[in-house]
Amino acid sequence: MSFALPARQVTFGRSTHVPAQQQYQQSQPQPYSQQPQQANGLALPYASNPYLPGPSSLALPGPTPSALSYPSQPQPTQLQTQPQTQSQSPTLVGSSQSLAGPSTPGPSAVPATPAPLTLEQQHITAVEGIVPTLQNIVATVNLDCRLDLKTIALHARNAEYNPKRFAAVIMRIRDPKTTALIFASGKMVVTGAKSEDDSRLASRKYARIIQKLGFDAKFSEFKIQNIVGSCDVKFPIRLEGLAYSHGQFSSYEPELFPGLIYRMIKPKVVLLIFVSGKIVLTGAKVREEIYTAFNTIYTVLCEFRKP
Amino acid sequence: MATAYYEFYRGSSIGMALTDSLDELITNGSITPQLAMKVLQQFDKSLADTIVKQVKTKTNLKGHLHTYRLCDDVWTFIVKNASFKMESNEMVSTQKIKIIACKNGDAIESGKK
Repeated sequence: MSFALPARQVTFGRSTHVPAQQQYQQSQPQPYSQQPQQANGLALPYASNPYLPGPSSLALPGPTPSALSYPSQPQPTQLQTQPQTQSQSPTLVGSSQSLAGPSTPGPSAVPATPAPLTLEQQHITAVEGIVPTLQNIVATVNLDCRLDLKTIALHARNAEYNPKRFAAVIMRIRDPKTTALIFASGKMVVTGAKSEDDSRLASRKYARIIQKLGFDAKFSEFKIQNIVGSCDVKFPIRLEGLAYSHGQFSSYEPELFPGLIYRMIKPKVVLLIFVSGKIVLTGAKVREEIYTAFNTIYTVLCEFRKP
Repeated sequence: MATAYYEFYRGSSIGMALTDSLDELITNGSITPQLAMKVLQQFDKSLADTIVKQVKTKTNLKGHLHTYRLCDDVWTFIVKNASFKMESNEMVSTQKIKIIACKNGDAIESGKK
């Protein structure tokens, strides 16, 4: 693989985009800073609350410094990935048409994108068209009020409370399909959401349920604690070779677990890499860490592709 | 009787019949209310034991689990559009059914309402 590291742009669509757009973003509340968003968090329709990085994403630990510079012309070998520089700006304009900066060219100036991009793909650059899918998001909320779990278990629907086994009420809702662990201290853990917005919406719904039962529950300290993603690179991987040359990060004990556990330092994400080419990424606090980690590992995996 | 037994079988048709009969016996002075209580307690115990040990009939239940709850070792399920398939291949459907399932000592039994 001659085009290994330097050629690949590990970019997130907007973070490398024209400054005009960044100015617009700065005027918005940053989507990722939780506190200021609280007031309008629920009210925001999904489309207008893009889970794209705000300006803060520029500080993300990117694997290549070049990610911060303007995208250069894509190298010929790269054309298989999204034709970034050319097609990306019009798609972005399309996604936020009403807000588009004056300097950006009209969509008609450029031919249509080869394939319709999903919202997610517009914000990040897919390596070889692969974007990790988010599978689970774990968030915590402080309802800031003591709770009587028995009352909750007796009156709420879809609640389980068995104090002999676990000191929390386990409650589920169907939309977004999530599970909450509600503790007497008023702390709550919400799991199972597939996106940040869903996680937040679900947490608010649980808080509302508790409120309706007569507790003075607030919605404070919402924090995403973990994001899990997964994807398939669609080629088999030599795990032994990877474990050997990346021994510092890898732990591979096929007798204990069939996958290689790769503890990436920057971003701090743990990857489970399987012979089949399936990858699980976990431990991220923001979605970009998943994407960055995948983009970083992808070059390494190409090196250890099974012949 | 070390463990207390659930009293919900008293609400079943057989339990109601027993309660009515006991009432009648008390009113015409044949037995004391204390004896009637004792009989009812024995009824709770006997029915619980019998259902666990002797009832082997099975039925398949299909439906949409609308609500569930576990509190104090009692499960409550509300199943919508439920259909029971009996062992005789007889089908019984209902829009909504509430199932209450309790633990009893080490045995588990379930009562239906």
